[in-house]
Amino acid sequence: MNKKIFRSSLLVALLVLTASFVMMIGILFNYFQLQIEKELKNEAIYISAAIENEGTEYLKNIVNNEKRVTLISADGTVIADTSVEADELENHLDREEIKKALADGHGTSVRYSETLTEKVVYYAELLDDGSILRVSTKQYTVVTVLLGLSQSISVVILLTFILSFILSRRVSKSIVKPINELDLDNPENNNTYEELSPLLSKISSQHKTIEKQLHEAKKQQEEFSLIIENMSDGLLIIDKNMQVLMCNTSAKKLLNASENVNGNVFSVNRSKSFRQSVEKSLGGERFENEMVYDDRHYNIIANPVYEDSEIIGAFIVIIDITDTIQREQMRREFTSNVSHELKTPLTSISGFAEMMMNGGIDEATVKDFSKSIYDEAQRLISLVIDIIRISELDEKSNMFVKEKVDLYELSEEIIERLKPHADKKSIKMNIFGGKAQVYGVRKILDEIIYNLCDNAVKYNNNGGTVDIIVGTTDNETILTVRDNGIGIPKNAQKRVFERFYRVDKSRSKEKGGTGLGLSIVKHGAVFHNAQITLESQINEGTSITLKFPKQ
Amino acid sequence: MRNRFDEQLLQLNTELLKMGALCEEAISYAVKCLTERKPEMKAYAIETEKMIDHKERDIESLCMKLLMHQQPVATDFRMITSALKMISDMERIGDQAEDIAEIAEYVTNADFQSKVDITDMAETAVKMVMNSIDSYINKNTDIAYSVIAMDDTMDELFIKVKNQLINSVKKGTDNAEALIDMLMIAKYFERIGDHAENVAEWVIFSITGNHNS
Repeated sequence: MNKKIFRSSLLVALLVLTASFVMMIGILFNYFQLQIEKELKNEAIYISAAIENEGTEYLKNIVNNEKRVTLISADGTVIADTSVEADELENHLDREEIKKALADGHGTSVRYSETLTEKVVYYAELLDDGSILRVSTKQYTVVTVLLGLSQSISVVILLTFILSFILSRRVSKSIVKPINELDLDNPENNNTYEELSPLLSKISSQHKTIEKQLHEAKKQQEEFSLIIENMSDGLLIIDKNMQVLMCNTSAKKLLNASENVNGNVFSVNRSKSFRQSVEKSLGGERFENEMVYDDRHYNIIANPVYEDSEIIGAFIVIIDITDTIQREQMRREFTSNVSHELKTPLTSISGFAEMMMNGGIDEATVKDFSKSIYDEAQRLISLVIDIIRISELDEKSNMFVKEKVDLYELSEEIIERLKPHADKKSIKMNIFGGKAQVYGVRKILDEIIYNLCDNAVKYNNNGGTVDIIVGTTDNETILTVRDNGIGIPKNAQKRVFERFYRVDKSRSKEKGGTGLGLSIVKHGAVFHNAQITLESQINEGTSITLKFPKQ
Repeated sequence: MRNRFDEQLLQLNTELLKMGALCEEAISYAVKCLTERKPEMKAYAIETEKMIDHKERDIESLCMKLLMHQQPVATDFRMITSALKMISDMERIGDQAEDIAEIAEYVTNADFQSKVDITDMAETAVKMVMNSIDSYINKNTDIAYSVIAMDDTMDELFIKVKNQLINSVKKGTDNAEALIDMLMIAKYFERIGDHAENVAEWVIFSITGNHNS
């Protein structure tokens, strides 16, 4: 723009300059011509006056290189001439200026020389005696003048050219300057050419649209990255050269990678199954794989990413499936345990029944066998009841109705119920504390305390004691069942709450437990959001504390 | 041109990482053979060793291609030459791992009366190999230097195990053949440590341009 303005203004200046120059010269020449003619006329008048006074002799005295004076008789013969001998000249009657003079008394004419470098201006005056006086002078033509002045003219042209160059540069700059200085970030705050304001307002509105769109895009991007960052599954995106394009925090955490992951995907993790997934997916195959890393199980799902049917990378999702696997394991164990537990009494029932079926047994033995069958059946029933309870608690069914239960009262009841068992082993049962209300399900709470006390009696030595301590603090209701029995070994303490786990591996029936008691306690505690702690010292006793939060 | 070259360099990097991972795997199989008494790992170790050999060939030809076609200079050149050196060390690590896995069969069957700290050596060897690969991945000279320092521990452990074995031989309570095998295993671990140290040195060279030896 700057260039364009500069060029056009320079061109205009030069054109104007040339035109005015040409016109000036034309006007000046015209003016000079008139001047010369006037001069010649005056001179002719003087000379004619002089001739009248002194005769033709006067002409001979005139020595003038510039002007030529000719006296011509009325018939055209040259009488005298100041520059050429009169006899050599031909008749001048047919000359233009003479003709005019004869007709009007005076006449002028201009004749160019053959080279056009000179022109001669003639003036003729008719004298009183009928002869004609002609004065002529040479005048330079435009071409000559121009040639003569060429040096100074070119200097002038050069100067004006330089001047117009500088000026047009200045001008174009000053025109463009406000445009250059436009603040396009705030198009409406500009104080510039009026012609630009529609453009500026257009820019301003577009500005706003773009900003809005950018804002939206950014928001979406942020939302997206927030989701990606906060999802619990790991997400990795790689290109076809196995370079990491994106890796979320979970992926880093799950794969145990350093904080700033960039570069090759194997710098994130290079275990065999991970490598396999990456390679297979980049080979164009959806690949699912399990990976064990640091005792945790992961599921790796790798998908190739296509663009125009060409693989450009892979999308890898890492899911921590440790919990699922553990749960599955527990379920499997539970099933096999249940079958085993059910099988044992059934086998003996079937055995006794078979013997009785075969006959040949005396009555006393039959009675004995029947008692065994009855005992085993009782055991089966209590086992099935326990299993049902556990599955009820497992499902967290809503069948339970919550109410206010006084743990102290409940414990007293349970002591009463357990008294026969305790008396057999001469175990003393004490209760300490006072009223302690819990908002919960009576049936479950009953089972919890019953199982705890039952265990405390069962796994106690003869003549031992069982203490139940019930109390409240500001925000908890605390129940502790303490015995001075055989205790639980350290390595088993973590596992006693597992289903069918028994410290005594022989699973001897003498104690009569199902192996589900503490599991029921734990489930019940979880159901009531209670915290359960176990302290035990082998041969010194066990103390289990439940802390119920106050609603 | 440069673009293609960059891509090939990335590929070289990836292949080196894969080879490093294979080395880790081979040695972990060998260690499992030995310490966890899982003889089925022997087949894995042998298979992995074969893969390592293949990888070495692949990387070698890739390096040659790069050197001839691209005629790299400065850092790139250093990276390629150190890669060439590293793969021969890694290949040796693979071989030693395979050797350990093969001998381990005979050693595990013999229960030693006397205490032999071979597990420590195995752990140190695994750690050294892992750290040398890590230093390459993270272009971290600190880790590489730690590997070099660990080699001294490895040498001490070797002397310790050797003395323990000498004592058992003197006592004569253990199977002498198994003791000799154990000595060889210890030596293999010690060699693995040396190779891991070499790898670490080449990592340092590729980063700094100085090879300390």
